[in-house]
Amino acid sequence: MSGDTTNTGSPATDFARQTMEVDIACVGFGPATGGFLTTISRAWAENPADPAFESKVAPGMPLQVVCYERADDIASGVSGVVTRAQGIRASFTELNPAEIPMATEVSSERVLYLLDPLGASRRSYTLRIADRVLRALGPIAKVRDHSFELPWTPAFLKKHGGLVMSIGQFNQWVGSLLMTSGLVQIWPGTPVSEPLFEPTAAGRAVRGIRLTDQGVDKKGNPAGGFMPGMDVRALLTVVGDGPVGSVSQSIDREFGTPPAHSHDEWALGMKFVIELPEDAVADSPLNSGAVWHTFGFPEPEVFGFLYVHPARLVSVGIFIPSWMTDPSRTAYRYLQHYIQHPALWRYLKDGTLRSWGAKSIDESGKLGEPHLTGDGYARIGENSGSTNVLTGSGVDEAWTTGTQLGEAAIELLRAGLPFTQRNLNETYVKLRRASWVEQGAREAQNSRNGFRAGIVKGMIGMALTGLTGGRLSLKASKRSAGERVVRVEESLTRKKAAELIVADGRPLHDALLSARGWPEIHFDGRLLISHQDALLMGGKVQAVPGSADHVVFPDAGLCIVCDEKTCIAMCSGQAITLADDGAPTFEREKCVHCGACLWNCAHPPPDSLSPIEFRGGAGGLHSAEN
Amino acid sequence: MQTAFHIVVCAGIVPDPLQSLEPITTTAGPGLKNEMVLPAVLDPWAASALYEAAALAAKAPGGRLWLVSLGPKAKLQQVMMTVAQKVLFELAPIDGPIGGFPDAHATAAILADMIAALPGLDRERLLLFGGWESAARGAGVTLQLVGERLGISDQFQGVDQIDLHDDGSFEVLERVEGGKYQVSVCAGAPAVLGWATGNLAEPRNNPQLGMANMRTIMPALQKAPASKLEANGLSYISAALPKQQRTTRVVKDMTPDQIAAELAEWIGTE
Amino acid sequence: MESILVLTHADETGIALTKASLEAVSAGLELTSRLGVSLTIGIVAVDAQSAAAAVSSSGARLLGVSGEPFRHALYATDAAACEALCRAAQATIVLAPGSSRFARVAAGVAHRLGGFIDTHIGSIGGTVNIEAGRWFYRQRVEAVLSRDRRPWFLLIDPGIRSAFAGEPGPAQIEQVPANLPQLRTTVSGFRAPSLGTQTIRPDARLLFVAGAGWTKKQPDGQTHVPEAGDLILGFLRVAGASLGSSKSLVDQGGEGQSVLPFLTHLNQIGQTGATPHHPKGLATCCHGEEPHVVGWRFIGDRRAVSLDPTCGWTRGKADVVYIADAFQVMAKLNELMGSGSA
Repeated sequence: MSGDTTNTGSPATDFARQTMEVDIACVGFGPATGGFLTTISRAWAENPADPAFESKVAPGMPLQVVCYERADDIASGVSGVVTRAQGIRASFTELNPAEIPMATEVSSERVLYLLDPLGASRRSYTLRIADRVLRALGPIAKVRDHSFELPWTPAFLKKHGGLVMSIGQFNQWVGSLLMTSGLVQIWPGTPVSEPLFEPTAAGRAVRGIRLTDQGVDKKGNPAGGFMPGMDVRALLTVVGDGPVGSVSQSIDREFGTPPAHSHDEWALGMKFVIELPEDAVADSPLNSGAVWHTFGFPEPEVFGFLYVHPARLVSVGIFIPSWMTDPSRTAYRYLQHYIQHPALWRYLKDGTLRSWGAKSIDESGKLGEPHLTGDGYARIGENSGSTNVLTGSGVDEAWTTGTQLGEAAIELLRAGLPFTQRNLNETYVKLRRASWVEQGAREAQNSRNGFRAGIVKGMIGMALTGLTGGRLSLKASKRSAGERVVRVEESLTRKKAAELIVADGRPLHDALLSARGWPEIHFDGRLLISHQDALLMGGKVQAVPGSADHVVFPDAGLCIVCDEKTCIAMCSGQAITLADDGAPTFEREKCVHCGACLWNCAHPPPDSLSPIEFRGGAGGLHSAEN
Repeated sequence: MQTAFHIVVCAGIVPDPLQSLEPITTTAGPGLKNEMVLPAVLDPWAASALYEAAALAAKAPGGRLWLVSLGPKAKLQQVMMTVAQKVLFELAPIDGPIGGFPDAHATAAILADMIAALPGLDRERLLLFGGWESAARGAGVTLQLVGERLGISDQFQGVDQIDLHDDGSFEVLERVEGGKYQVSVCAGAPAVLGWATGNLAEPRNNPQLGMANMRTIMPALQKAPASKLEANGLSYISAALPKQQRTTRVVKDMTPDQIAAELAEWIGTE
Repeated sequence: MESILVLTHADETGIALTKASLEAVSAGLELTSRLGVSLTIGIVAVDAQSAAAAVSSSGARLLGVSGEPFRHALYATDAAACEALCRAAQATIVLAPGSSRFARVAAGVAHRLGGFIDTHIGSIGGTVNIEAGRWFYRQRVEAVLSRDRRPWFLLIDPGIRSAFAGEPGPAQIEQVPANLPQLRTTVSGFRAPSLGTQTIRPDARLLFVAGAGWTKKQPDGQTHVPEAGDLILGFLRVAGASLGSSKSLVDQGGEGQSVLPFLTHLNQIGQTGATPHHPKGLATCCHGEEPHVVGWRFIGDRRAVSLDPTCGWTRGKADVVYIADAFQVMAKLNELMGSGSA
């Protein structure tokens, strides 16, 4: 391995960029790269003397495999996960959930339609009629606590036989096994800035990655202790950086996306981890392994979930989708209203908030699939469109695409073949296309089409797709980016909202919710706390000193004239706020790297979701109880 | 000519200081809920000691730098994923229990034995570094006991600075009462320095350093000897979160002048 | 049957016991009267005879180690002196003030005596066994412990007990010789932190904490860091307060942002900083987040000034929170206190 290793940690004054050579460099540590690295290191452990595993860049040494994760800890991932764990169990045949903290087998499942007890949600006429009918039928229809439980769980949602997990703990567990194996090295707190492109006879190849600069000011200019990000040259770059990863974005810009494919559909998932008190509510259905899927509240477009982990921990959260066209759509306050819905609150109300988190979810599925391979790189996991948007599952699919790439890499190493696009297509892509992941993605492809026309149509569409295994679906109606956000507020509500803003300086989206009739949240300092206090829950959200701002507004002029400021309403950590001149400002210390700013612009330029740049950066969430 | 020291840094691991902690009772006495699950970091002031040691080693090359750490192997491995990117060192891990509740004397005995057995350690050049007080037990006792066990009677605590002289002697600044420093001059190694924050910023993550370190750290972790901590007659009667919730009066409608007047009265004269 | 030894030391004069030492004497007296056992007081000073005057009315047996080598706080000399006193006293329980001087050596001495030590003791109680209370995890967990092995050393946190204030008088003291090793370290003096302004005052009646809000953009869209500095320093002057800070404000120095030049990490209070004992505390422009507030564990009455009505102080962490602009409040407060009208 070339490169200068005499640095003992004293402040660097050498401005030359360091380089390093490895065989395989992975971007991001999550279920996808976890699957990839597990597959590779197992094959190596079975026969370390296999010449396939000899390093090409460091002769005499085993394969040099590194993985760079931007979060300060590999346990910081956010997601309350329920998964069928098909791919995961194939890799861990003797898996005992008790080995993984916060993991347990699914014990029960229900789907609830939540009515609105407050009358504040923006339901369509059709839906309000449906609610009225349900209320009238009352106990006959088994309407309880303003909720209606579906008599059966649709097969496409069913997770029975699966696992409830914390993704952070799962990643931590996988990471520990990998580190002990000795072949791979995982480096947290090391964000990747961009891929390294190189011209070739055939066009351009990816030849590794560049890490972010350290010791810079907010704008990225060298400051004290400047250390330019190292170039890690690799024969294969495994891109597993999630739905908003900077390397994925770079590659999409460089090589484009397949025709008619785009990342149009998103959701922001935000969740709490709540600890239930020791004396459980009588007949509480919240036993370890219980899984709830909900829809209808706080707004018709919002799906919700509740998964019960062992030790009385509950992951409960909602998804705010991009097809909810309210410009002031927001997550945190809605989540607080969600947990106060009578059907949930009766079991949650004496609980204690342990942690909070949020992430963007790419809901485009197969229609958002990028070019899966190129010369020198392959894409796995959520950034590669593997998430099944019908079943709402991504972890298992990501893991499986990782194992598929792992097997492909082993095959190519054994054959002594280079990691060209063609070779990767003939191994990785072929495996993937033949697998259940692909099948699921195809079935799900059109499942969400109806939502663009409204919630009722959307649910019908989803049911149609789900129940016919993808054979029947509603047609897609392409909505232009500008129509994504629609202002329909009537003037009286806006006036009331403006008064609230003046009275106590609250943000617009918060004032609008109150003006629409959503009751104020009564903070109790235990379960219902202010948004800023949530950032301090568990492990505090942090920024790493000496790093540049990773959310950049290149054209403040565009932002100043924007009325909707949806990016501010949707920022999970309230890191994006307004300066006095109306330009947006960014506070790195509050950013949880959810990526919502990437798809929540009310006035995006043509051919783009948002003018806001979301780059690689360290820091963010720090809780392991997530 | 600068003396090349043999610096041994003792550092435990503690839960990330920003996590929520809750005491529980285990068979071995009090513990922290979910401690094995909480993200861990190198004890903050011990980490300062490590960075200061590395800076010192850079000034006087030819020496050696060891990190001796007692903790559960799996947690040590996790912490190394970050620490190994900061400075170059040799790891001498001991697989043992985590936490601030076990007896410091027991911990010190194990650490002292490990240090005495470090291959190639030259006692005449030994600088024993560590955190003055840990973020777990916070007693300021363990390092002192290790030093005493190793027969070192030049000990400094609450150190923020060390300045080397050409003849091998050095000047040390220790925090004392009233925000001042006591300045001492020591003729040379061996000596014990229990560090506070020191003056250095945390080094940046350097992946190359990490990879160089990992080659020795991983095998060392795999070979870490297991240890048990003696109870030494220490028992706990209780361990609890303090119940401190005041009833806060939130004042929103007073002018700054009125507030100032009320505060002035509250502060009073003396 | 227990027997108690209280170790004490003199201040820079070399002949007067420190306040913390006298507090430890109070603790010793209380313990001996509760257990009905004997008390010995050991003194390390240049002139232990003179220092002993302050505790002559305690009724305790008095031992002393005297001499010029014991003027300064040094491990080798203090350890030798304390060891000699402990061997002469043969006590089962050894109390000492948790001063920097004794914190440096007490554990080493305990080891030499074959004993065990617990430091930062806040309370000593128990009826049958002796039970000591102390904090763990930076003031986040409160525990009570006990030991059955002897001798048991307990270092008592300063500022908790009242200092022994018996009538001073001539004392009967036994001078104990101490075996000094060859000395390789000398104390050359003291130094204040480079900024010169003495802002840390452990004996002040008020702790004043400046939070990160002082350096943020104010309602007029500008930062006002020099004015902030003036207001803060001005207040310290007129109120004689001690200055504390949150980690976020102290850390700003490394980010290239405006910073208050008189603040160092020595001023930092909280999780990775200090935990002072002042009767009153005033937090300004501070969020009141838990990692900082744990440092307020031993502050008595607490008030805060902040523009944020949902900051942590409003939720049970302070007695009174004024939602107001600290710049305006402090300017007026400085005026009122400076003019002596308070």
